[in-house]
Amino acid sequence: MNPVLETAERNEPFGNLEPEAIDKTWRDERGLKGWLSVTTHQAIGKRYIVTAFMFLLLGGLEALLMRLQLSSPENTFLGPGRYNQLFTVHGTTMMFLFAVPVMEGMGVYFVPLMLGTRNVAFPRLNAFGYWMYLAGGLLFYGAALTNTAPDAGWFAYPPLSGPQYSPGKGVDVWAQMITFTEISALCVAVELIATILRMRAPGMSLNRMPLFCWGMLVQSFMVLFAMPAVMVASTVMLLNDRTIGTHFVNPAEGGDPLLYQHIFWFFGHPEVYIIFIPALGMVSAIMEGSTRRGVFGYPAVVLSLVANAFVAFGLWVHHMFATGLPQIGEAYFTAASMMIAITSGVIIFCWIATLWTGRIHLTAALHFVFGFIVIFVLGGMTGVMLASVPLNLQAHDSYFVVGHFHYVLIGGALFPLFGAFHYWFPKFTGRMIDERLGKIAFWILFFGFNLTFFPMHIVGLNGMTRRIYTYPEIVGWQNMNLLATAGAFTILLGGIVFIANVLTSRKSGAPAGNDPWEAGTLEWATSSPPANYNFVHLPFINSRYPLWAGKADRGFVTGMRSDRREVLVTSVLDAEPHHRYVLPGSTIWPFVTAAGLSVGLVGSIFAFSGYFVASALGMIGVIGWFWPREPLEMKP
Amino acid sequence: MVLAARTPGDEAVTTPRVLDVSGLPAYDISSRSPLWLGQLLMCLIEGSLFLILIAMYFYLRLSVDVWPPPGVQLPNLILPTLALIPLIASCAGSYLASEAAKMNDRRGMLVGMALNLVLAIVFLVLRTVEWYGLNFTWKADVHGSIVWSILFLHTYDVVADLIMTTVLVVLVASGRYGEKQRLGVHVDSVLWYFLVAIWLPLYAVVYWGSHVVGAPQ
Amino acid sequence: MKRVLLLSSLAVAGRAQQTAMDPAGAPARSIAHLGLFFLALLTAIYIVVITFALLPLMRRHRGIDQEPLEGNHRPSDATETRMAKRIGLATVATILILFGLITVSVSTSKATSGSPPRPDSLVVEITATQWWWSVRYANNDASRIVMAANEMHIPVGRPVMIRGTSTDVIHSFWVPNLQGKRDLIPSRTNIDWIQADRPGRYRGQCAEFCGLQHAHMALWVVAEPPDRFEEWYSRQLQPAADPADPVRQRGQQVFMDYACVLCHTIQGTQAAGQVGPDLTHLASRLTIAAGTLPNNKGNLAGWITDPQSIKPGNHMATVPIRPEDMQPLLEYLESLQ
Repeated sequence: MNPVLETAERNEPFGNLEPEAIDKTWRDERGLKGWLSVTTHQAIGKRYIVTAFMFLLLGGLEALLMRLQLSSPENTFLGPGRYNQLFTVHGTTMMFLFAVPVMEGMGVYFVPLMLGTRNVAFPRLNAFGYWMYLAGGLLFYGAALTNTAPDAGWFAYPPLSGPQYSPGKGVDVWAQMITFTEISALCVAVELIATILRMRAPGMSLNRMPLFCWGMLVQSFMVLFAMPAVMVASTVMLLNDRTIGTHFVNPAEGGDPLLYQHIFWFFGHPEVYIIFIPALGMVSAIMEGSTRRGVFGYPAVVLSLVANAFVAFGLWVHHMFATGLPQIGEAYFTAASMMIAITSGVIIFCWIATLWTGRIHLTAALHFVFGFIVIFVLGGMTGVMLASVPLNLQAHDSYFVVGHFHYVLIGGALFPLFGAFHYWFPKFTGRMIDERLGKIAFWILFFGFNLTFFPMHIVGLNGMTRRIYTYPEIVGWQNMNLLATAGAFTILLGGIVFIANVLTSRKSGAPAGNDPWEAGTLEWATSSPPANYNFVHLPFINSRYPLWAGKADRGFVTGMRSDRREVLVTSVLDAEPHHRYVLPGSTIWPFVTAAGLSVGLVGSIFAFSGYFVASALGMIGVIGWFWPREPLEMKP
Repeated sequence: MVLAARTPGDEAVTTPRVLDVSGLPAYDISSRSPLWLGQLLMCLIEGSLFLILIAMYFYLRLSVDVWPPPGVQLPNLILPTLALIPLIASCAGSYLASEAAKMNDRRGMLVGMALNLVLAIVFLVLRTVEWYGLNFTWKADVHGSIVWSILFLHTYDVVADLIMTTVLVVLVASGRYGEKQRLGVHVDSVLWYFLVAIWLPLYAVVYWGSHVVGAPQ
Repeated sequence: MKRVLLLSSLAVAGRAQQTAMDPAGAPARSIAHLGLFFLALLTAIYIVVITFALLPLMRRHRGIDQEPLEGNHRPSDATETRMAKRIGLATVATILILFGLITVSVSTSKATSGSPPRPDSLVVEITATQWWWSVRYANNDASRIVMAANEMHIPVGRPVMIRGTSTDVIHSFWVPNLQGKRDLIPSRTNIDWIQADRPGRYRGQCAEFCGLQHAHMALWVVAEPPDRFEEWYSRQLQPAADPADPVRQRGQQVFMDYACVLCHTIQGTQAAGQVGPDLTHLASRLTIAAGTLPNNKGNLAGWITDPQSIKPGNHMATVPIRPEDMQPLLEYLESLQ
């Protein structure tokens, strides 16, 4: 059992907090209304993760259908229309409905725990963000099921996605679904930044903050600057061109389809790092728990994360080398794209040093970390190749690129995520996950992944272009494609083993206790799963790994009121306590606001006036949300 | 007081250390509040949105030889420039209200917010007049599309903020407010300063753009 | 018969005809060499990095249960310093290697770029349309302009400047054996340089997703010795000869009577439609429907009868041609050498 909590429970006299009182204050309401009113970060984080996982399954299913179609030349399993819908929906689902939201969900769940506070800074905004995400996902799949799926690719280049070449509502649904998920990502970014900068445990100066929180902080800032770009691209440019007749991408009236590409990739490239940087945080956390030492070179890792974020905004043009840009620009973007290999390299080197000097406990989670290194570094190498303009011009839009970005995204984000599920499973559920099944799942997934995506590099250099629904026999691509299809079904098998493991372990796994890995960070200082308020007494720390520190370096906070949802606000750099702050309780208004806004935004797919409906309903929701509730704290 | 537990001498203490925060204030109506930070971040989001629109304006300008397109009247500069006066002055109202909120001065908050609202509405009236004077719409060509998008999005944000300010006026006037609402009055001013500040570059682009970087046929 | 043989030889040698790894010309060869250099260097680095990452598993300690925790969870300061030095060295090495790669890459980029155009270039204008390629050999002398579709012939050893654009959505011109890809964008003209140093037939296809039939938008580049090319070129300059035998005459009449004439051009006749490919020398081409089918009478008949089942969604109208008109039409089209 954790020493801090142990002492806290034994030595109650100095605390004026009664666990029963605080439990009552933080309890969720019952019933359907209560369920819709939840504002605790753990519940919302779990909702994000579970919902995103459902979308991962849907996106995976779409991938399997595509792999079946491509398994042999001139296959007629799917027609061109259906196939184009499938890869569009697959890419969109994985990027917008799975990868970003699942990272946000992990952040929402773990950041307050790791910081030693009780909730995120804006619990209602958090709930609102989740409902917007869910509404966006439901809109998108609702449209897909009524045969209104978009079919212009996940980046929807005009003029193909414009009114003339993509009639129907599919692309409009795509564009507005992005608005939903971007609102959600922005909500999480704002609340996580505020939480991280203002609500860390006293004593947790920025240089003592867990690396996962650093990852989420950096990622959240990237979201702030990147997401507005995609909203401009998808709604201001594309949707308005389609619905009200603006001319942003219409060359006939002075518009420019390349402008759309610039704006989209100004978002689209950082998007990869928005997905990947939290994963770096997860890898660091798993490594600390499994080598039982802090990550080597903490300042170097933090600086590299921050540098990655900056550089990521300066290399979007490497997605556009084939469009024919001036050569001087090409040289700059080649250099910038390769720069990111330096900072990423530093992080990898630091991890290797951690493994060398730590004492490795080879858990299932650590298996996924090793898998991550093997796969992601290879994706990084092909990334260096793609940064070179001449090589890019051959590889661009071919299966080489498909192979590359699956190595980077699945290797760089999904493997760490699976590792994180295994590592933090005891914290989520209070039970240990079956290590043996976890390792079996890892090996199947690792083998299946490489079988699927490695051949794509070869077949891509052999001229196979992206997004083709079939290919003739004479080009000789069938063997590699057959291998990839076999690999895809192997991945499915690995997924089934993982799901089975999760389902059985959460019922019958061994009880975990607070800190089964004897890790050092604060999420392990409380019960598993944590109570709604996270900690009976907020921790007070004096080192980077408080649970590894001597008793003299630990302590906890007293003097907080238990009859309202109080948290402690601390200073930005040194986390000196500044004031107490009262968080709102459960409320249905975020749900009502999101519902009203969603109705209007769905309407805006059909007519611009939908935005006014959205604004009116949204404003009503927001007024209800902020309407003063008794007690008004100190009356005037 | 609070940080007594962090003095070096305490390192030797073997019993768990305790940090008593009961003496700390329960709210803080200042830039140290998480809500203030949240509002600032919202401004950053909108700021990046508007900066992208400005970049788009110049990108589109540079991709054609004639700007604005034939038939588009150069915008009148007098009215929009005059409109800056009430707009910038309205920040004084915001400032008054936010300072009054810190001191729990109900009258000050009401006067400040009212001043803010009145001057902002004068600005909006002037903008509406100017907007009606444009001889093109968003449908005309890409110049129309970008100018209308900038005007629409900024006006939308201004109106949304004024509605929230109005709600705060109602709350404060009815006496139905506590520290949370005072904090609301305080951070509301942050958004207003931002909307005024971001208008200056937008104004320069929308009204001076076609004069300065334009090229007649 | 000759064509059947030719196509079967295409099928046999199929593997080598669309690949960046078997370059057939100067630009593609420079890129392939660059690629091999990158591949060799990066593979070596990869092996080193992964070896170092996996080595700690060889000397791993027993499980967490047996091993009591140390006080500060840190190795000695000496170890940490040693590690920091190694990481510093690795980082410096990374920077130096990347700098080298950038230099090599930029110089290859200059050497393979289409601008400035090579002197003595043959200029070919490629215009992409959903889902086929129009090929126009530019010439200052209007009588020397050649129009073709979905197939271009080039002389071996001579640089060819591609001036590419699109009439609808964004396409991308990619013949991997000859050069990297170049996007074809409406209301823009992009320039590229291809060159073949040995005779051969190289397949390319549209690389930027362009809608329903993106998969069936291929083209063939036929590289021939200069004299053979000139021969081909002068044949292509001729308008279609008026058919002599009655069946073909009947076939020409069928072409003019049905809707075919609205979309297609046959030089030397009144057919001057601009919507679909120029058919003046249809019979000389290797394939029909933008590389979808080998060009033979049976495929042509199937294509004319029901283009939508062969290439669903394509813009060729299904023209209901009476069975008795089909044979003469095919005979006529087959005569357009």
